[in-house]
Amino acid sequence: MTRVMNGHRPATMLVTINVHGIGPEAATEPQSALYGRFAHGRYTYGGGLARVLDMLKRQEIAATFFWPVFEAERCPALLQRCLDEGHEVASHGNAFEDLSTLGDAERDVLETARDRLAALCGGGAGARPAGFRASNGGFSPRTLEHLSELDYRYDSSAIDDDAPYKLAADGGGAMIELPWSEGLCDATHFSRRVTQDRAYAHFLQEFDALIDVDGYACLTLHPRADKGVGRAARLVMVEEFLAHARERASVEFRRCRDVALSGDDAAMASAKR
Amino acid sequence: MTDTSLAEAPWAALSNELRVSGARPSGAPDISTVACVTVHVDGPAVEVGRKQHPVGPFSAGRYGIRRGVRRHMDILRRHGVPATFFACGYDVEHYPELFLEIQQAGHELAAHGYLHEAWDLGEEEPALLEKTHRIMIERLGDAPVGWCSPSGRKSHRTLPSLMRLGYCYDASEKDMDRPYVVHDPAPGTPGFVMLPNNTVSLDDYPVYFTGGALPSEIFDNWVQEYRAIRQAEGYLHLTVHPKAGGGSGTPARSAALDKFLAVLKADPTVHFMTLRALAAHCLSQPQNWRPA
Repeated sequence: MTRVMNGHRPATMLVTINVHGIGPEAATEPQSALYGRFAHGRYTYGGGLARVLDMLKRQEIAATFFWPVFEAERCPALLQRCLDEGHEVASHGNAFEDLSTLGDAERDVLETARDRLAALCGGGAGARPAGFRASNGGFSPRTLEHLSELDYRYDSSAIDDDAPYKLAADGGGAMIELPWSEGLCDATHFSRRVTQDRAYAHFLQEFDALIDVDGYACLTLHPRADKGVGRAARLVMVEEFLAHARERASVEFRRCRDVALSGDDAAMASAKR
Repeated sequence: MTDTSLAEAPWAALSNELRVSGARPSGAPDISTVACVTVHVDGPAVEVGRKQHPVGPFSAGRYGIRRGVRRHMDILRRHGVPATFFACGYDVEHYPELFLEIQQAGHELAAHGYLHEAWDLGEEEPALLEKTHRIMIERLGDAPVGWCSPSGRKSHRTLPSLMRLGYCYDASEKDMDRPYVVHDPAPGTPGFVMLPNNTVSLDDYPVYFTGGALPSEIFDNWVQEYRAIRQAEGYLHLTVHPKAGGGSGTPARSAALDKFLAVLKADPTVHFMTLRALAAHCLSQPQNWRPA
């Protein structure tokens, strides 16, 4: 339940899930080594992603899932569950490629990733992803132009603002940027092997200051056990944080595409600059 | 809050089995959580494996031999907890008396590499697994049935080698929150079960060494894990290292282990088992422990 305070629209919070399974390891290690420490990612399929979906259901939050084709092909049932439960499915590239290294092949890789994901989502008009987030590495000087030409409506790879902004000046045509926050990303903290309590403290302090700036915050989670929140104890922490966000700022949880397609300038405060 | 994706009462069969055998009193409550305490001894084998002379500045492993192992054994004895001690072949060769002491205290000894090899072993892997296996049989008079990868590294050669040597479990995978059987028992083979470890939240080393946690913070984290696990799969796989420099051997960190075991012991629905005992249970009813 959201409240409208002082006649303004409530603050916007995006819950975004980067669907990383064994893909990051498979991109760098040979198949013969994908065991043990190089197989943390299988936790996503072994329960982590289902748990995250259960949590979102309990919280009644529609989230945005960034799916690499590599992962969507490995767990089509979980992809379908995302769709069935009202979440947005957006593109997270093909197989954890670094776009900055692809050269002339970049446009084809992006187009194939978009079309393959749309096909896995059942094809048809509504299946094409509206948004993109890089899964690994950087952008090339032409990435935003390619994404715009491929009819993407938003990108969510950047960490350079506190609120959404227009990408025209960066070659992104009519796309907008929905920036994520490093401090509101589980992997930032858990890849440093901190305790749940410390990650929670980071989330709280980052959120409380950020949400007052332009009424926008983007939470980023991973279903893995190591750098993500797939473990039961960590999801307890996430749910406590979401309760805090509701209480502290009366946030409205929105999917990325809904913000990007709303044309809502109030939700894009810094776009006026 | 219940999680619809999880099986109900995973330990019902075990509870009955233990009541029937008299291992648990007839009036004991059903088991909510099986707790496995694993102690990775990681003595000087680690430093020697890194081509460091394991005395002076590189003596973190020797701390375990001189102090930490017996401190952890004392804590386990006071709480009446049987544990699984993972041993490197080099350490067993050089400190056999300590490992015999562990064995005589009723704990399980399992294999953990020769020099805690954290690198790609290539084609030498099967021979190295066999080397430590032979050392443990010669020095301790008992063949290990379990293995945990030093550093977590494995290859496609690992499982076939372990099965050939007669092992029945591996404690190196991190992909599920419960055991899973990968080979059913059959005439001439005990079968094989994965007993995943939790290097993320229930292993002292990463959280101390990389995460910079205080002992009081790691205690809180472990208690949170226990509470969540108790409501979910009920499989708590704790890993501690009796070494210095990232381990839990030192007094303040051992105290956190002591306090955590006291929390678990205060819950009559927590049942402690060695990994060997848990593996035997899972392999006695493989149909209940299929991978998801």
